Amino acid sequence: MTPFLLYLAAGAATGFHVYTLLMLAVVGAPVNPLELVSLLGSLCLLVAAYWSVFNPHAAARLALVAALAMWCFYGPALARAVGRL
Amino acid sequence: MILPYLATTLLILVTAYSAVASFRQPRESSAPTWIFPNGTKRSVQRGAGICTLALFLGVATWLAIDARHSIRRSSRFFIPEGYVGWVRVEFQVNGTPVVPVEEGEYRFKVPPSGLLRTSSPEEFGWAKDHFFYYSEKATRMLPETGPGGGGLVWGKINGEESGSQGKKKYEEFFIGTEQQFGEQTTGNQTGASSVPQTPAK
Repeated sequence: MTPFLLYLAAGAATGFHVYTLLMLAVVGAPVNPLELVSLLGSLCLLVAAYWSVFNPHAAARLALVAALAMWCFYGPALARAVGRL
Repeated sequence: MILPYLATTLLILVTAYSAVASFRQPRESSAPTWIFPNGTKRSVQRGAGICTLALFLGVATWLAIDARHSIRRSSRFFIPEGYVGWVRVEFQVNGTPVVPVEEGEYRFKVPPSGLLRTSSPEEFGWAKDHFFYYSEKATRMLPETGPGGGGLVWGKINGEESGSQGKKKYEEFFIGTEQQFGEQTTGNQTGASSVPQTPAK
């Protein structure tokens, strides 16, 4: 149950976060393609959450790939945020 | 504001956990633990399935409803050739013309002052707008890119302000190079976009 809850919470939190950033395009903000990659990663994480109750090992691999895809966006964003401190 | 921190923290946890779970070699004699389970009971599997399905359905419904409210007609902005500076479009201004629609897109023809007033209401939502320089001879599209891409359209914002004539809705954007935009915003941080600039030809 641990991987299920972890993947579900992470997928929902990151997905909602990136979605709110994407929605800023409505008021004219440019869309970063990496945000779309990250959103896809969140979706894969939700799939991994469901899968983890049947095959935790395979789900972990999917979750790792999804997490790496999300780091494409979160990595540079985090580095920039830390650089501003 | 807690969401970015929560998302990043969970992502770090997931990365670490999934990396360990992917590459660990379980011993045959070792029993599954709560942190690295081998599988779950059938009732838990059903619960997880229902929970995931409910989440997917909830998100899909929410996105469908949200998408219906977040689509608008595209706009074409025609700006005088050589204009550099802020362009401002004010909406719902009494006694001004409506914005014409051509080929399914709004057509905003910005005067040399950079300030366009219209009685049309402002629309919000997803759409791809296009920007052009126009002159008597020709019209050419202005590139719209991210930082470092050589674009000529920057700092698009929508807003509302109160004045003597009531509330005013407006849209603003900067026309010029990225360097000019940077110089403009750093040189006038007290409200660079609140007043339209005069054209610099």
